[in-house]
Amino acid sequence: MKRRDFIKHSAFFSIGGLLLPSVVLSSCRKETLFEDIDFKGNVIIIGAGAAGLYAGYLLKSKGIDFKIIEASNAIGGRMGKLEGFADYTIDTGAQWLHGKNNILADLIQAKNVQTTLDETELSYWFNNQIVTTLPQDPFIFEAENLPDVSFKDYAHQKGFGTEYDAIVEAIAGDQGASASHLSAYWNSKDEENWVSGDEDFKFQQSYFEVIEEHIAQPILDQIILNTPVQSIDYSTNKVIVQDVNNVSYSADRVIVTVPISILKLNEITFNPALPSEKTEAFEKFGMGPGMKVFLKFSSKFYADALYGGTICGAYVDDTVGKSTSDKVLLAFIMGDQAAYLHSLGSDTAITNALLQELDGMYNGQASASFIASSVFDYTAKPFIKGAYGFSTIEMGNAREIAAQAINKRLYFAGEAMNINGHHQTVHGAVESGYNAVVNFINDSKK
Amino acid sequence: MRLQRLYSLVLLVVSINASAQELKVDLSYNYIYSNQLDKIIQTYNFSRPFLTEKQPLLMNGLNTSVSYIFKNERHLNYGINVAYSYFRSVAENENMTTTLQLNFLKLGYFLHYENPAKWKGLYSDLIISATSSGLFRNVNGEAFVYDEATSKAFGIGGELNLKLGYYLQLKNRTYVSLFISFAYTPYLYSPNNEVVINQTKGLCAKNWTSILGAQIGLAVHLRQEKND
Repeated sequence: MKRRDFIKHSAFFSIGGLLLPSVVLSSCRKETLFEDIDFKGNVIIIGAGAAGLYAGYLLKSKGIDFKIIEASNAIGGRMGKLEGFADYTIDTGAQWLHGKNNILADLIQAKNVQTTLDETELSYWFNNQIVTTLPQDPFIFEAENLPDVSFKDYAHQKGFGTEYDAIVEAIAGDQGASASHLSAYWNSKDEENWVSGDEDFKFQQSYFEVIEEHIAQPILDQIILNTPVQSIDYSTNKVIVQDVNNVSYSADRVIVTVPISILKLNEITFNPALPSEKTEAFEKFGMGPGMKVFLKFSSKFYADALYGGTICGAYVDDTVGKSTSDKVLLAFIMGDQAAYLHSLGSDTAITNALLQELDGMYNGQASASFIASSVFDYTAKPFIKGAYGFSTIEMGNAREIAAQAINKRLYFAGEAMNINGHHQTVHGAVESGYNAVVNFINDSKK
Repeated sequence: MRLQRLYSLVLLVVSINASAQELKVDLSYNYIYSNQLDKIIQTYNFSRPFLTEKQPLLMNGLNTSVSYIFKNERHLNYGINVAYSYFRSVAENENMTTTLQLNFLKLGYFLHYENPAKWKGLYSDLIISATSSGLFRNVNGEAFVYDEATSKAFGIGGELNLKLGYYLQLKNRTYVSLFISFAYTPYLYSPNNEVVINQTKGLCAKNWTSILGAQIGLAVHLRQEKND
């Protein structure tokens, strides 16, 4: 072969070689899961929180027939909004986007939603004074090989005295738990899979409105409100869901997204009964009381964020990231502190208890400049009954077991069912929602 | 002039080492198939209906390598090889153009076989490489950063590659060849690929992957003959 011929042939084969594989082989590989979905059945999603809404949003995009049955009179679950209290819309439930490396951060980027990095500096109520630094750093719970004891016990083991108890309580409160119930070991294991990032972002509009506009809006006509479910019969090929008014709904697949507290309390009856392994797994979850109280003042006398109150573990300036001239302080109360305030029995009593504590911290300025309060007691909400699921001592693999599907007909989602370290968050609930959809379509193919 | 100088320098490098008798530089189209990488991107695309433009799978790329063959009088020789591969996937959506960049750097030892008396111009290389990978995510033309760190995933593993080529003499010591190769990476430990692409860990993929690859390309060989 002559050199010129060789070069000609080389060029020909090279171009052919470049084009052929990319055309032929590319066509064999699909860009998305289930490009041709042949599932012709219908799906019922129980619960219109973030997980249920996202599962529905995804099903709609894939052309699958579904309905969302919601017990309460509103969508959102542990998300909500309060209008008219201040000159901006307040998030009454979840309000921070935790980290930037997650699916909702993608949504926010794609929809050009404005967020602000929350760079609030922490202060502490410590030994009856407000300080910006502590003698010992109390953030000790993300290390490896922690013992399976409570946050509180671990802090004591590490030499933190009782003067740190309220601060440790506030740190545990971030996980929706009391320091005496949250496992240092299992919480740190959960943290190992946390890949979303540590920065927190706030929304110029409310977080709830973002979810409402971009996820719920397209599927509103598929949501049935005010319909608590009392039983799920999955003994036959069709799953029968019955509400408290004895109205039955039939579906090929059911995705249960109710809070773990509802499953722990057996408020939905399953037929046949769920396997004992599953119910034991539910039992291992913690889901403590949770409350958010918004306090409006005429002046800003308070620190941007203060940990360590004995009535309320964390007081946070709610207006960070908002365009407002109003002064709104959020009392973020979890665990035993929320249980105590809940026991006071009225919003007025709760507000007074908080004002009294704030007065002690700020020399009476709270009562002097107090305008109004709004209390959101998630423990008192009949279809929520708590804050969010946390890992207790001896949690083990309860989360994985709880999230497993049953008989390829019954699927579980929700923040507590997130098995990849993002539980207790909205984006974690969303991930569990789409994962349930992926799993049931996968199972339907087999 | 510069090219001539470079060429002379390369020939000098070849000739100063008595046993370094061939330098080979190649450029090829590279196709890869990784079940785990596909699964992660497919999950990403499936779970984000708000992104109308889907993220293409990582499959088409370019590879370049430099090889040194230590020749002896037998047909079977050995050599060392450094290779670099680059793959890119771009999805342009309103407000969000996402680019995935996958890089491989391989350091290999190989056996080179040619028998001019029997198969004139044909040669084959069997390459065993240590492979490292780097996966990066760009959003809107900038490295995706969170917690003040770039989103990235590194991997390490091994690759086996069989290359078949046919060469022709261009100049005195210069040859050019057309080649194809097939590669198999049985194990690439890359636990954060899912973190970079789907922003989850342990939800849809294992922390390792295997990769099949194929290449077709051109190589330039600079040879020092025995009596040079």
